[in-house]
Amino acid sequence: MIRYIAQRLVMLIPVLIGISIVTFSLLRFIPGDPARVMLGEHATAEQVAEFRKRMGLDDPLPIQYIRYLGRIVRGDLGRAIRTNELVTTELAQRLPATVELTLGAMFIACLFGITAGIIAAYYHNSLFDLVTMVGALIGVSMPVFWLGLILMYIFGFKLKWLPPSGRITPGIPLPTIPEVYNIHLTGPVGEKVMWLLNFLSNFYILNSLVTGNWVALVDCIKHLILPSLALGTIPMSIIARMTRSSLLEVLHQDYIRTARAKGLRERAVIFRHALKNAFLPVITVIGLELGYLLAGAILTETIFSWPGMGRLVVDRILARDYPAVQGSVLVIAVLFVFINLAVDISYAYLDPRIRYE
Amino acid sequence: MEERLPAQTTLFRDALRRLFRNKLAIIGMVILGLFVFCAIFAPWIAPYDPIAQDITRRREPPSWEHPFGLDEVGRDLLSRVIYGARVSLYVGVASVSLAIIAGTLIGAVSGYAGGWIDNVIMRIMDIMLAFPSLLLAIAIVAILGPGLLNMLYAIAFVSIPAYARIVRASVLAAKEMDYTLAARAIGCSSSRILFRHIMPNCLTPIIVQGTLGIATAILDAAGLSFLGLGAQPPTPEWGAMLGQGRGSVFTAPHVVIFPGLAIMLSVLGFNLLGDGLRDALDPRLRM
Repeated sequence: MIRYIAQRLVMLIPVLIGISIVTFSLLRFIPGDPARVMLGEHATAEQVAEFRKRMGLDDPLPIQYIRYLGRIVRGDLGRAIRTNELVTTELAQRLPATVELTLGAMFIACLFGITAGIIAAYYHNSLFDLVTMVGALIGVSMPVFWLGLILMYIFGFKLKWLPPSGRITPGIPLPTIPEVYNIHLTGPVGEKVMWLLNFLSNFYILNSLVTGNWVALVDCIKHLILPSLALGTIPMSIIARMTRSSLLEVLHQDYIRTARAKGLRERAVIFRHALKNAFLPVITVIGLELGYLLAGAILTETIFSWPGMGRLVVDRILARDYPAVQGSVLVIAVLFVFINLAVDISYAYLDPRIRYE
Repeated sequence: MEERLPAQTTLFRDALRRLFRNKLAIIGMVILGLFVFCAIFAPWIAPYDPIAQDITRRREPPSWEHPFGLDEVGRDLLSRVIYGARVSLYVGVASVSLAIIAGTLIGAVSGYAGGWIDNVIMRIMDIMLAFPSLLLAIAIVAILGPGLLNMLYAIAFVSIPAYARIVRASVLAAKEMDYTLAARAIGCSSSRILFRHIMPNCLTPIIVQGTLGIATAILDAAGLSFLGLGAQPPTPEWGAMLGQGRGSVFTAPHVVIFPGLAIMLSVLGFNLLGDGLRDALDPRLRM
């Protein structure tokens, strides 16, 4: 197992280098002078020249690339042009929102997808089976942004059950973890810890749980439901289909007949014997979808005014703020790669045959 | 004496028979037929000019005169949805065709050449797959600049690895077959072996993946246009219509309902047909 993980980690190196080359090229392939594009129409020649010098755009490309690589290894993603804020600071605020949304969507997708898949497989060819499968077919064809708007209209506007957009109701206080517990640390290590605690505070649900802020917790969960439902529909449909087909295959195996023949209760047959084997492909699908949710969040976040990374990417593209785009794309791609790696490793752990392929 | 042979059947005819027995696939074909009809005959069946505005009647709800209502600048939505079929089908089919051509060439060369060429090409494909496809498409459009054609190229580009991998796998399998050895023994050239003997074996998975790929392409294109990175106003593109009408979702929901419905139905059509084709062409792949 350790050998397998080591092997996979080594294989990751060229991919990570590739990602860095792609994000590096992002800035250099812009037609025309990137400096002029980023500074806008009204920049003077001196401003452009100064900007080119500051960004090192006059050096040969390989030198620029090596310098870029050196910076990202140290965790420096540059500064956003418009706000002049560190890209990493912006990402640290935005990433938790996206992760929260992704996990919310995955929770809904697994809860309903797996349940529906099991029932549909158990009552194979029943009305429930038919409805689930037709629903799943429609679900995978659903444009996330359209579903989001419809949900917002029905539950947020007409029925007024849930807030239609945003992450927390303005005015509800949600102090950070260090603020609540009066933590002040100094020194090189202390500052890192403070940074980490502030970063974790941006996970609103985690923060409100840790600080016992129940008003904020309920409010955040309410805000999370609609976007998660919109984002989770496609994976929910895929998980439902996968669970059903995988379980159907297992239910026809001899050992299930044996289990029933020896008089086991039906619940034990399904949950102890069948599901254990049927879950392998489902887990793979869940993992793969988790990665895609990160990207799918771009559209969902735009609709629900969710202050996550996806919206950051789109906003900055429209504002032609390329360093910010570069940084966000890099972080999302690296996250995506590591999620996929984790999926592969967990799969190899669950099914030892994979390791020897 | 005349000997009666069993009725001749080809792989193709066999598959077609299976396809037409599949109810879901037929539903898919009917849906797609409707959209293709709309796309081809749009100027004749659309009741109004899709870009003619009537500012005085903005966001008017559906009526007999305008069955889908009017949009935020007073354009007839039914006409825009009908014309939108042209844009979406064009982007879907064109981007997938481009991706199939490029992916097939890359995969074939990679699989047939083997060695370091194969290694380099597949590592590049791995890097492309390391990005979520929508994100990579967005990044490419960010570089090229927003627009319908740039979006088409971006979507085509990000779908290349899927086809390259399929073709490479098929080529690798076919390379070991006896008929390939036989072709080589009688002195066929490499390109003849590749294109006449090996490539026909890749057709089945390419057709299936291509059909399902059009569904994804339409969805991605609508998403990009929704964000303002694809088709630009006043082009009647479904995603762009949703993006522009988004602000009026609470006051005039019809502005977003109909374009979204069109996206969903066309994607559903390609998904149903793709699933049907997979079952018909290769029953082993059945999910």
